[in-house]
Amino acid sequence: MESFTLMKTRTASARPVHPRARQLNRLALCALLFVCGTLSAGITQGQQQLSKRYPAPKNVRVVLKNISGTITVESWNRDEIKLTMILESPKANVAPRHNGSGLTIDVMADNPGRSDIGDVNFKLQVPVSSSVDLETKRGQITVSNIRGDLVRAHVSLEGDIELRGISASQVFAQNTIGDIYFDGEFARKGTYQFQSGKGHITIRIPAESAFHLTAAAPTKQIKLGEFWNDKFKNLGGGRKYEGEVVDGRSKVNVTNFNGSITFMRR
Amino acid sequence: MNCEKCQDLIEDFIDGSLGQEDQAKLNLHLEECLGCADVRNDLQAIVSFCREHRGEYSAPPNERALWLRIRNMIEAGESVPASRPARASWGSWISRSWELSFSQLAAAAAAIVLVVSLSTVVGLRRWQSGDAQFKASGPDAGLQVGAANVRDRVSQQQQLISYWNQRVEFNKARWNPEMRETFDRNLKVIDQAVNESFDALTLDPHDEVSEEMLNAALNEKLSLLKEFAAL
Repeated sequence: MESFTLMKTRTASARPVHPRARQLNRLALCALLFVCGTLSAGITQGQQQLSKRYPAPKNVRVVLKNISGTITVESWNRDEIKLTMILESPKANVAPRHNGSGLTIDVMADNPGRSDIGDVNFKLQVPVSSSVDLETKRGQITVSNIRGDLVRAHVSLEGDIELRGISASQVFAQNTIGDIYFDGEFARKGTYQFQSGKGHITIRIPAESAFHLTAAAPTKQIKLGEFWNDKFKNLGGGRKYEGEVVDGRSKVNVTNFNGSITFMRR
Repeated sequence: MNCEKCQDLIEDFIDGSLGQEDQAKLNLHLEECLGCADVRNDLQAIVSFCREHRGEYSAPPNERALWLRIRNMIEAGESVPASRPARASWGSWISRSWELSFSQLAAAAAAIVLVVSLSTVVGLRRWQSGDAQFKASGPDAGLQVGAANVRDRVSQQQQLISYWNQRVEFNKARWNPEMRETFDRNLKVIDQAVNESFDALTLDPHDEVSEEMLNAALNEKLSLLKEFAAL
């Protein structure tokens, strides 16, 4: 049985300022403290924070399937995973499964038939060479400084995706409403896919990047910046561009149904 | 008394020519055996009907001539198989007993698999190359047929989408209000992409970018519905 550290969120406090008589001042202070106390107690009762550490090899694989809530993944210089989660009420059951090669958290599978559970906000600290496969139906996904094989961030509905300092051979980022921001490097023979239904897709990569690009946006807002060259084919009157940058070592596919696609030099 | 013996005696029983001892045994059996009792009842009903309606059928005017005609028809009927070889051969082919060796069975199964595979491959290729063929048949024809082709495919996808949409609607009531609102808002975004691509394709059926976007949007909608049908 796994044990979690339980912490309550901190209560907020306020100091009343009133220029009247001392008694009235005390009364007002007491009333305010009472109100604040009641409110903060209500908030803390609705939240629960849990954390747990797991030993992990350098190239550990982390799979997280959430229903609703934010996911934040960042690397650290330790051969272990630290999982922190804040559960909103009604609290979901979360039973992480850990084995030698990875950690799997599946909120959907852990709560069969429960459609009314509250948000679960995850924070994961993982070794830098980890592979991360993250899904949520609703909520923001942020991944920082990961240099593993795979980074996959899938928001089925609404939520921004931020991938910063990424150097992985496979990167997939997809949402329906929300921005996608990628700041990283394209590995040789890597595969990179970005898709949004409505939002802005921004890709920030080193100037010397080499890739084969297919970018489609019916809004015609495709800005290739310094990566544009004469070899690019303009299809559909600016709605789609296809071509190679340098030698096209990696494949990059970007689709935005209603929004812009922007390439920036790092 | 067993059933076989009973059914041998039922005819005599109904005719009233059965001995008392046998009749007693038969009655005992018929009280115990519902199957034989049913046979007795049926046979009795038929015999009673025939007795009641005896003499109601008038004899044909010339019985001898009638029998001659019947005999001629029977004799002529014997030569019919020779005059209809195809039907006879089908009948004999169907009615023959099929006892195949293992190798014959394996060969037959392999032949069936080959035929099904080939027809599937040919069908898929035709379906995939449908647009190219339509385009090759001339600009005006291509416009009409291409548009029809897109409409057909959209219609097929819409049927699937409709099925999954029903399943989502069935489950939706259990979701929390925020999830419902978010889902509806996001589905509208995908629907907008579908409609815009479809409108562009209606204006120009050869617009490959719009076709790609339409396919991508429809697939996206389908996968979203499938995912949320399980929520």
